[in-house]
Amino acid sequence: MARERISQADEWQTWAQRYDIEGGVRTFESGLTVKVFFGALFVGLLMMPGSIYLSYVSGQSGAAAAPWVAVILFTELARRSFTTARRQELYMLLSLTGAAVGSGMQYRSFIWYAYFVNTPQAISYEIADKIPAWVVPAGDSAGVLTRSLLHPDWLLPIGIYLAGKFLGTLRVVSGQYILFRLTADLERLPYPMAPITAQGATALAETTGKQETWRWQVFSIGSMAGLIWGFIYIGVPALSGVMMSQPIQILKIPWIDFTQSIEGFAPTGVFALRTDFGQMLFGFVLPFPVVMSEFVTAMLSQFVLNPHILYPNEILHQWHPGSDVRATVLFNGLDFWRSYDIGKTFTLGLVGMAASVPMLFKLRKTQKKAGERGSLATPPNRGDFPLWLMGILWLIGMGGFVWLIHWMVPNFPVSFLLGFAFVYTPINSYITARTFGVLGRDLFEIPYLHEITFILSRYEEIDIWFAPLPDEDYGAGTQGWRVLELTGTTFTSNLAATLLIMPILIISGILVQHFIWQIAPIPSAQYPFVQMMWPINATNECLMKTSLRDGNSEIIQAIRGDYVAAGFTSSLAIYGMLWVLKYPSMWFYGIIGGIGADPGSMVARLLGAIIGRFYMIKRFGLKRWFMFNPVLAAGFACGVGLIGMGTVAIALVSKAVIVKPF
Amino acid sequence: MEKLASIIIVIGTVLWLVSVLFLGGRWQWQMFAALVLTVGIFIAHFWEELSEGKKERTTKDDN
Repeated sequence: MARERISQADEWQTWAQRYDIEGGVRTFESGLTVKVFFGALFVGLLMMPGSIYLSYVSGQSGAAAAPWVAVILFTELARRSFTTARRQELYMLLSLTGAAVGSGMQYRSFIWYAYFVNTPQAISYEIADKIPAWVVPAGDSAGVLTRSLLHPDWLLPIGIYLAGKFLGTLRVVSGQYILFRLTADLERLPYPMAPITAQGATALAETTGKQETWRWQVFSIGSMAGLIWGFIYIGVPALSGVMMSQPIQILKIPWIDFTQSIEGFAPTGVFALRTDFGQMLFGFVLPFPVVMSEFVTAMLSQFVLNPHILYPNEILHQWHPGSDVRATVLFNGLDFWRSYDIGKTFTLGLVGMAASVPMLFKLRKTQKKAGERGSLATPPNRGDFPLWLMGILWLIGMGGFVWLIHWMVPNFPVSFLLGFAFVYTPINSYITARTFGVLGRDLFEIPYLHEITFILSRYEEIDIWFAPLPDEDYGAGTQGWRVLELTGTTFTSNLAATLLIMPILIISGILVQHFIWQIAPIPSAQYPFVQMMWPINATNECLMKTSLRDGNSEIIQAIRGDYVAAGFTSSLAIYGMLWVLKYPSMWFYGIIGGIGADPGSMVARLLGAIIGRFYMIKRFGLKRWFMFNPVLAAGFACGVGLIGMGTVAIALVSKAVIVKPF
Repeated sequence: MEKLASIIIVIGTVLWLVSVLFLGGRWQWQMFAALVLTVGIFIAHFWEELSEGKKERTTKDDN
């Protein structure tokens, strides 16, 4: 039977309809109240230490749990006080608690660079002593050696970060708002994914009524599953790590490596089973074709392509028997896959452009024909801002940012910074805002933009690799404004809440990160995930940051034009042939994600997708199952997050106790 | 236009296979195939977005 051709916009909007809520709200109220503000701050700051600790132990912060805990507490209190919680309040609570719990993570890069500056990799690549003082103090400074973010050595890095944060807030808020007005008000784009986010607050607002709904039941099931899983995966290693020098891991974190076991029949193949089965929940939510095609392609890559085509033809030549997953991935990457992936990334950029440019043409055509778009008039009481004011704020924010970067890297050509700031950023953001408005996701990205810029600028100092560049994208953030609109929350209340909570979070974030660093060195056996991953990341960062030095670095030598061309052209061919055969574009994103990847990292997601598709949808029906999904995921995250919070509390207390020898 | 786009994409794909299997995988030939494929993909998307008289339909949710 012939397939019907569907455009990408149709395809993704259909997907989004699964989560759609009825209509939209057109009456606006403030979501910011004193109880919301302090409630968010209380729960957010309570869970922030757990979230940071979890990210070092298991690689996942579990931060998603905090907003839901806050909402549950809030709705329960409302029920017992015989009052109701408004959806505006709940949405504000979700967003403020999310910001509060995530605030510690903003200082993670300080911990990373404090580790990186003293790694053997950074020393052997001769970059340890060239890392600028505005990134991290010197490796032998007291601030690094005593693991203290409160030491005066950190004043400059933290000061620069705060200046950037202030200017960033000006730019991001104003930039997003201007684009939202253009795409949502003027062009009337649908933002198909916004209802999914809005649904959380909408759903739980109902529960403060008299009747209990299915949502509590589903949330509780998710929470219990999260508690059990969290105890096995995070609780046992974290608690045993408090008492023993080597923590007990029921399931090895982050993976069980089968690479050496398969080398007999699949030399150069990789299979490391990722043990984080919480990933199953992603499988429930992600489109089935994406998960399936990703896994099948990854299996073919590791069991056919690598061992039986690339290895016999000596394209993969550095691998030797006995290599584990990390060595195999590194060797295969240097021999072939790194080059191939560069080409693949260019395809994603080109395909995104091919999909988004015709949309711009279509807009002009539709405007002429229908004449219904083109008005910047705003709904009453939405809490809008004057566009001219936002324009001025953006110019101040961006101008200040360019000046700051120029101060950090004075010899880097200013013309590149100005070009990025005032030409590239507006165009790039507008295109992304449009694709978010139509497809609910980003399509357009120029890969390796920084690297290309550094080559063109002929600037050879290493400091530019540590500096931010003003190539920004506010497009994705426009969706947040649409969610505010759907939940009926006034824009002014959202902005006021953000500005009020920011100073508190800046200070508390530094303090908590400091205390967690004091528990034990990061990485160390206390933090198995970072102990496993950060040395690899350090090697990769060294390779990347020295890639353009002297023109003969290891990574530049590893990049081969014919392999890059193979990645680029084969990906284009896959995309083109799927279009010719009328397959949905989802298959393309799955196949591209799976080529060269480790199938072991996808097993949990695949299980989730199969259970969802072949059992849950049949059992509950498509619409109902996809209504359950976000609530179930929230409950699970909540359970895992609670375990993380509990274990970090015990760890902090045990480290605070000084054992006397008598 | 749909057929034209399909033919160009198929030609591009065949060209790439030939460049890999019989021309030693030289990047010049591969990039030529990429150029052909790019033209085909752009035509395909322009046709998809701008074609007149597209029938209104509800896309089947078969995922």
